Amino acid sequence: MSLPVLAVNELAMKFGNSEVFKNVSFSVEAGETFGLFGKSGSGKTTIGRCIVGLEKPTYGKILVQGKDILRMGKKEFRELRPKVQMIFQHPETSLDPRMKAFENLIEPLKLHSGLKKNALLERGEELAELTGLRPEHLARYPSHLSGGEIQRIVLARIMSLSPAFVVADEPTSMLDVSVQAQILRLMQKLQKETGVSYLLISHDLEVLRRVCHRIAYLEDGTITSVENIKRGINT
Amino acid sequence: MSLIEINDLSVEFHTGEDSVKAVSHASFDIKEGETFGLIGESGSGKSVIGLAILRLLPTNAEVSGNIFFQGQDIFSIKPSELRKIRGKHIALMPQNPAGSLNPVLKNGLQIKEVYEERGIDKKEGIKKALKLMEKLLLKDPEKLLDLYPHQLSGGMRQRLIACMSLSFEPELLIADEPTKGLDPEAKAGAVDLFTKIKKEYGKTMLLITHDLDLALEVCDRIAVMYAGEIVELDEASKVLSEPLHPYTRGLIRAHPRNGLVPLIGQSPSRIRLPEGCFFHERCKNSGFECSRQHPEMKTHNGGWIRCHFQSLQ
Repeated sequence: MSLPVLAVNELAMKFGNSEVFKNVSFSVEAGETFGLFGKSGSGKTTIGRCIVGLEKPTYGKILVQGKDILRMGKKEFRELRPKVQMIFQHPETSLDPRMKAFENLIEPLKLHSGLKKNALLERGEELAELTGLRPEHLARYPSHLSGGEIQRIVLARIMSLSPAFVVADEPTSMLDVSVQAQILRLMQKLQKETGVSYLLISHDLEVLRRVCHRIAYLEDGTITSVENIKRGINT
Repeated sequence: MSLIEINDLSVEFHTGEDSVKAVSHASFDIKEGETFGLIGESGSGKSVIGLAILRLLPTNAEVSGNIFFQGQDIFSIKPSELRKIRGKHIALMPQNPAGSLNPVLKNGLQIKEVYEERGIDKKEGIKKALKLMEKLLLKDPEKLLDLYPHQLSGGMRQRLIACMSLSFEPELLIADEPTKGLDPEAKAGAVDLFTKIKKEYGKTMLLITHDLDLALEVCDRIAVMYAGEIVELDEASKVLSEPLHPYTRGLIRAHPRNGLVPLIGQSPSRIRLPEGCFFHERCKNSGFECSRQHPEMKTHNGGWIRCHFQSLQ
């Protein structure tokens, strides 16, 4: 059997004397959407931030494609970095406000792909089309885009790096019901086309039940159960 | 009797060369004691109507139409008169409770300021505030007064704002997206809160929201907005259980519980609105007439709808 894309083992986090979560273990397979459900303040976001290396847990292992990111050198982690991406809850703070949408979109490609100018622009346009962005969106600054449009740019940016794994932290909680459906369906389409895995963090059980293959319930700082959802990806 | 009447309200924002049509020809009234909901996606013009009622729109906004509050034309009264209405007769619970409280003042001081403005002395003000806080489901109100806003949860901040908005006993309360970003527990709390404000205080409310569950629980009537205009208006239970307009139907189907089916396409640009019906490019039932002629609001089964084909649906 192939290795899971992500395996979290006995993760624990303490801020001062208060223990946010402990003994958190789960794994996510390739092409899977794994839901993490919990109330506000239950530590869901902190778990997500640990997985992409934005926080250091007090204890535990985080294995990405079999390698422990907490015990690897800086250089090795930097090489792995494009493979593990995150979508943040607040769209308005996800992009650089001084750059137009298209510049924001191609920035990761500039840093990581080594593509020359024309190829870079072409790839950027392809990604914009893939995520349903119109040319007029690309010429605007983030302050002139709606939450849904910004989440499309965030998705295009992320997909430009061909990640194996994306932590999506409440990606639609600030969006309206109709835009929420568009963004979640777009995430499913991208998963089908690229095989990317998602850890979908949410306090909305109806959303998780609709799009996830499995859901882990985080209660009182630990995972109390994992539910298999039969319907899965494309229903 | 109507407490507020909005007639043919249009709002355009001028930005350099372009102008953005935020609201087009909106008309509705809110009766005394009624809770009226404005629903629709972000950018559909809901909040702009709320701000227009209080004349709080920025200077680049061009407004036409009338708003009558208790028979008084809001657009023709002097600024000094308007100040007597704002906050006192019409109160606004703004979007984003965190951004509406002063982060460097303790909650008690902020709520006390409101009573001072009313000419009530400090001790009496605090007493009244505590009573109201208890009624609005805030636990341990005395302790809360000694905390800063960041020490409260989103739901608690919202209740505190509700207390401040209600302290002048306004005739009309406008609540703008009160459940945005709240978790399900706090959302359920918001439903309790607004039900209480409605039943115990008998307040007339304008509830601006995209939360269909909240709208169904609390509102008596609902207007659905799309691209700046009202496309359907009727009793809340009718609109949400038997929607007529194809946009309302799409909105309801997009709810995770109803299948998470997204509407095709995106809302039109508000600088260049499409010919004919603003929704026709996304509408499955669109016909010849829809791309050519803009539909007017028509009565249908006791409600109102803006669609050429309402009789076929």
